[in-house]
Amino acid sequence: MSLLIGALTIGFILSLLALGVFISFRIFSFPDITADGSSTLGAAVAAAMIVNGVNPVVATAAGFAAGFVAGAVTGTLATKFKINGLLSGILVMTGLYSVNLHIMGRSNVPLLGEKTLTTYAQAIGTTVLGGRTSLNVMGWEVSTLDASVLGLTFVAIALTGVLLYAFFQTHLGTAMRATGDNSRMIRALGVNDGNMIVLGLAVSNGLVALSGAFLAQYQGFADVQMGIGMVVWGLASVIIGEALVGTRQLGFIICGAVMGSILFRLLVAIALRLGLNPNDLKLITAVFVFLALILPSLMRKFRSRRVRLSHA
Amino acid sequence: MLELRNVTKVFNPGTPNEVRAIEGVDLTLEEGAFVAIIGTNGSGKSTLLNAVAGTFLVDSGTISLDGTDITRWPEHRRASLMGRVFQDPFTGTSPNLTIAENLVLAAQRGLPRRLGWALNRKAKDEIRARVQQLNMGLEHLIDNPIGSLSGGQRQALTLLMATWLKPRLLLLDEHTAALDPKSADQVIALTDAVVTRDRLTTLMVTHSMHQAANLGDQLIMMHRGRIIQEFRGAEKRRTRVDDLLARFEEVRRADQLDETAAEMLERTYV
Repeated sequence: MSLLIGALTIGFILSLLALGVFISFRIFSFPDITADGSSTLGAAVAAAMIVNGVNPVVATAAGFAAGFVAGAVTGTLATKFKINGLLSGILVMTGLYSVNLHIMGRSNVPLLGEKTLTTYAQAIGTTVLGGRTSLNVMGWEVSTLDASVLGLTFVAIALTGVLLYAFFQTHLGTAMRATGDNSRMIRALGVNDGNMIVLGLAVSNGLVALSGAFLAQYQGFADVQMGIGMVVWGLASVIIGEALVGTRQLGFIICGAVMGSILFRLLVAIALRLGLNPNDLKLITAVFVFLALILPSLMRKFRSRRVRLSHA
Repeated sequence: MLELRNVTKVFNPGTPNEVRAIEGVDLTLEEGAFVAIIGTNGSGKSTLLNAVAGTFLVDSGTISLDGTDITRWPEHRRASLMGRVFQDPFTGTSPNLTIAENLVLAAQRGLPRRLGWALNRKAKDEIRARVQQLNMGLEHLIDNPIGSLSGGQRQALTLLMATWLKPRLLLLDEHTAALDPKSADQVIALTDAVVTRDRLTTLMVTHSMHQAANLGDQLIMMHRGRIIQEFRGAEKRRTRVDDLLARFEEVRRADQLDETAAEMLERTYV
């Protein structure tokens, strides 16, 4: 049970990452791999501040802000300096590695015994449950800590999802979606498409960093390596979400990205439980995304061949 | 109102692919003028329109609108003064956004994009009312993605978007070239109606002699990056398709003569 709850919690936390990747890859068609660096950046900023006694809510917000800035830098390189989008992301990601080490002062910052959002959640949960240390969910014993962290994460993600959906219905958000869809048209309507991309990537990486900040506090440490492969992970979640709910409605896609993230994490948790070597995880994730990307065109080919054969 | 002075644009300068797209063009549009531009392929007519729209910055010369020098203004800034319809129906609209979302983007042309709701009930009612005026039955589909519509429907909507806020200048870039004849006629009728109703100053590039002869009050012929003839007022009203064809034939002959003459000179002297 605690395995399931753990997978759910991490799935929720990483769904922020999926939402960020959704913004860059799907809304702007911008292959932004800054996320690998900004995920760690969010964790590093939050962890360093918490260790120095800053309120964890403030520290988490600072993590978001740091990611926001990192995304804006990538966007500026790509639009103002006309550097290829992929390369812009690589440059910022590479630079962030050193930045992250400087922020943390070493390669790993443990948060055990510090006041984090996790301890806040536990305090809230204990109050709500009247001091019990565990509760009974359908016959399973669940610790108050696990349950309250899951609850708090769920609230945070639901709030972010609703905010994001609302944002994309505003004048600014609509202009952003149009920028990714048809940049010539949006320029002809008086919008500086470069600024839209900068702002969009900033929001995207802000969300990714926020997920990093949450993750560090949940797992109890920030590590300079923790962001590696995050882009592909987020992409896998987005793809699963699209397969689950389709791509017609923005609200569906946002829910789908969250669902995809949770489902993917659950699958991984089960696979690890069944004896999958954790070292193979990234390779399997990459192969999965590869398959998901080529499958639609393979299916079309297969189908058209069948049609031809049936006509012959 | 629109004034071009000695405008020149060379693409790929200094390479084997160098194209002198427009060379020293002077052009003045009066307030409320409806000017059609025709010309052969590669004559620079679309380039001229894009130079005004700011798709690229010109190499030399000045462009001014209402007395303001806009030569160095970027495209998105000029958009506050201009409405545009493109040749490709896919260029003027955002396919994955709904009809209503596309139109509400156009209703904010040149204005800062803020965090207000894009589509409230009032905005949607207005959109429905104005889409209804197109007589295409699209008012029931305003929550559908625009990508599901035909080219003609998209061009009609793009025209509505370009003129939603009355532009100081309307730019039409062969906006019926990609349409079937029936849709083309429909879009031309809509164009004529909106230009007349709002007295829009309009610059229209066209491939159709027919449109050039029948629409607008001023006609410009371009060839090899230069304006070779201008018809205005009574002269424009008298001009028929045959006259235009004859003039183009003349130009073509002159070209051939130039080339053979050059060849002959080359043979003799090189």
